Amino acid sequence: MNEVLLLQGLVGGIVFGAIYALIGASLNVMVGVLRVINFAHGEFILAGSFFAYAMLMGLGLNPLYAVAPVAVLFFLAGYGAYFVLIPRLQRSDEPETSSFLLMFGVSLMMIAVLTWIFEADIRPVNFSFDPINVTLLVVEDAYGPGRDGRVIVPTARIVALAVNALMIIALTWFLYRTLTGKAMRAAIMNRDAVQIVGIDVHHLSATAFGLATAIAGVTGVLLAMVVPSVDPNGGPPLALVGFVVIVLGGLGHPVGALLAGVLFGVVEQVATVMLPQAAAQMLGFVILIAVIFFRPSGILGLAVSR
Amino acid sequence: MSDTVLEVQALTKRFGGLVAVDGVSLEVRKGQIVGLIGINGAGKTTLMNCVNGIYRSDDGQVRLNNADITRKTPHEIALAGVGRTFQVPRTFRRMDLIDNLMVPLLHTDASDADLTARAEDGLRQVGLYELRHNHGEELSGGQQKLLELARVIMLDPELILLDEPFAGVNPSLCRIMLQQIEKLRDASKSFLLVSHDLTSIYRLSDHLYVLNQGEIIAEGLVEDVQNDPVVIEAYLGN
Amino acid sequence: MANVVTSSASSAGHWLRPDIVRQLIWYLLIVVLVFWCITAPSRDANLSLYFSFMMWITLASSLNFIAGFAGYMPFGFVAFYGLGAYGTGIAVKVLGLPIWLGVPCGAALGVAFALLVAPSLRLAGIYFAIVSLSLAIICQRVVALLPEWLTGGSLGINLGVVADREHGYYAMVLVLVGVLVTASWLARSRLGKALKAIRDDVEAADAMGIDVARSRLKAWLLAALFASLVGGVDAWFTGAFDTQTAFDVLVTAKTVIYAMAGGLGTALGPVVGAGVLVWVDDQIWRAFPVLNNFLLGLLIVVLILFAPRGIVGSLMQRFPRLRRYVM
Repeated sequence: MNEVLLLQGLVGGIVFGAIYALIGASLNVMVGVLRVINFAHGEFILAGSFFAYAMLMGLGLNPLYAVAPVAVLFFLAGYGAYFVLIPRLQRSDEPETSSFLLMFGVSLMMIAVLTWIFEADIRPVNFSFDPINVTLLVVEDAYGPGRDGRVIVPTARIVALAVNALMIIALTWFLYRTLTGKAMRAAIMNRDAVQIVGIDVHHLSATAFGLATAIAGVTGVLLAMVVPSVDPNGGPPLALVGFVVIVLGGLGHPVGALLAGVLFGVVEQVATVMLPQAAAQMLGFVILIAVIFFRPSGILGLAVSR
Repeated sequence: MSDTVLEVQALTKRFGGLVAVDGVSLEVRKGQIVGLIGINGAGKTTLMNCVNGIYRSDDGQVRLNNADITRKTPHEIALAGVGRTFQVPRTFRRMDLIDNLMVPLLHTDASDADLTARAEDGLRQVGLYELRHNHGEELSGGQQKLLELARVIMLDPELILLDEPFAGVNPSLCRIMLQQIEKLRDASKSFLLVSHDLTSIYRLSDHLYVLNQGEIIAEGLVEDVQNDPVVIEAYLGN
Repeated sequence: MANVVTSSASSAGHWLRPDIVRQLIWYLLIVVLVFWCITAPSRDANLSLYFSFMMWITLASSLNFIAGFAGYMPFGFVAFYGLGAYGTGIAVKVLGLPIWLGVPCGAALGVAFALLVAPSLRLAGIYFAIVSLSLAIICQRVVALLPEWLTGGSLGINLGVVADREHGYYAMVLVLVGVLVTASWLARSRLGKALKAIRDDVEAADAMGIDVARSRLKAWLLAALFASLVGGVDAWFTGAFDTQTAFDVLVTAKTVIYAMAGGLGTALGPVVGAGVLVWVDDQIWRAFPVLNNFLLGLLIVVLILFAPRGIVGSLMQRFPRLRRYVM
């Protein structure tokens, strides 16, 4: 085991962990406020990636410029989609299971549309910052005398991490300092109570759906910067990351999801360095099942009771 | 002592830091209707859930006919002779009424025809026979309460736990409910009755316990409890 | 207040009693269906279409055992199908068994897996869904990690040489008959009633003396048995599979959709749903090959929003009298 590789894995882990944190946070807003288990979350994220890809190919713009338009457009799309999809759902026999199925259908539709527009191949996202890479650390004589090891990170990843951190700060501020954010947290804790206090639940829910969609879209843009390629079939693994993170962090607990996301990212990236690839890919699911069986309330110990 | 059906000894149930039931002891004898009253959140339903095994109690013992049932699962306790109804009626909403009443009979060896006949008879007794092909979800709230009672009767338990049997039930259905309860009592079934409708509970109960913040604060005959200053204070506040 | 579902004028004992009519309709349907499928080869019909017709009816009906009767929606249902295929393939390729013995081996593997993961049934609603989905993915990855001499690696397993397509077709007819007979038994049996009680309210069922864990385990194993049988027989008929096709999440998706479209909780529902939608799916494929999955997704969305109880379920809700004639 090499010190440089481990450090490289750790840095990658933080970059990916921040992405996972965002995925978990947005999915958690949806699950918490709306009780919608969004199977299509991966495709929401992919749609963001493809938006950035399309801007790059069509207008030659760096994906960084996609952040703002994606945030606005996705918020509006999510706000509108809420009224089409969700209110009817509450009338079914089992809203949670139905929501999972419903979003399963949405996911199939989105994959089909993405495949139709962009075709089924994995496409590279060719853009660059200047300089391309940043050397974080030089370990002298890491590979023997005179052969130094370097911990190198692409600049794009550092930029993505910075944007990511800003998003997390903004989201936390929103949830804890603004009235709408507080109402959302209240709705996570007790949906019925919110109705009694006279909050417009539809507006609040639609806002939450829009917010979660917007964060997912921006996450997609950042993901396209971190892993510069797009694949229409890459959604389900992302949704599953989301599930791992929210189960790990506690269903309906936004801050828990942030912590769990970073933790999971670090573990996964370090595991990729140390284990065979297929085994590392399985790790997340094994963790997920272990947590559900042994600590169903998540690492912060707060659960949304059923 | 041989006629004691249910004996609860120093039962405790905690949820995190909250002690919902705190060292409660009580006793129900054969053919007795025992009332359990207390304001909302006093721990009445929690106690009931501990007795029938839905909750696992943290401490204490539940004995049925002198046999320990504390650690048994709900279905084992049901088959041992404890039936219950729920505060919010929980009928099987997408099964017809006959099937609803057949559920407690499924474990028996009787023939299917016999089961159907018994279920139909059970529906007749509570006046729901005409609706026998309807689904549980198509009944009114009061009818669902009656259906639950009929369902418990099918189980033929020695002890019946009734959680708010009269809440939201209109007077004419209430009368049927009362008749049924009295009839069962005359057949020497025992009851633990939870309610905050004091009129009916005073009328029915042979013995009364008052629960407040998870503890029994008074017990005795109805007249004694009615005039107990501690009880009046707990109900009316100070 | 309830509308009274009136009982028909005929008195008990009359041969037109609803329960007898109900069974007549159902068994007649089975006989016609099976006859129609069994004579397809001699009619020179499109065997692939008939095969997928039978396959999806079987899958949807077996999903119904656990989802419709017991109320557990297994989003990783494809795991049974995939393990059935791999169990069959390995038994034939590595152990050298004849294919008709290989299929039961595949079924045994699927049922063994179902037993292994049975503790997940303790989980409530969405946790069960997530765990079930993850388990199917883990299954796929584990199979992909196994040595190539066992599972054929990324090329998968090819049974084309040893497996006769037409025999595979008749094997599917047998499995179909098996699942339909099981479904009709379950619809009338005490186990079926116990499962429905569990679906409607677990705690109340438990308090009424139903052994919840035992009953749902039985439904789970039955569902796994038939799904893995289908996996094996499909491998027999198609001749080749790999980890992508055997564990394709679309298998779960279609099974769930077909079962729901017909209506979960009745024996008839999944048969109607799969029957209608396999035909619709085929038409869509012909007309719009590109947008096939889009329309499939749209269909799910519309179904969930506008007819969550499916064709049969919605009809029964609308016309309560029908209930007594539907198995």
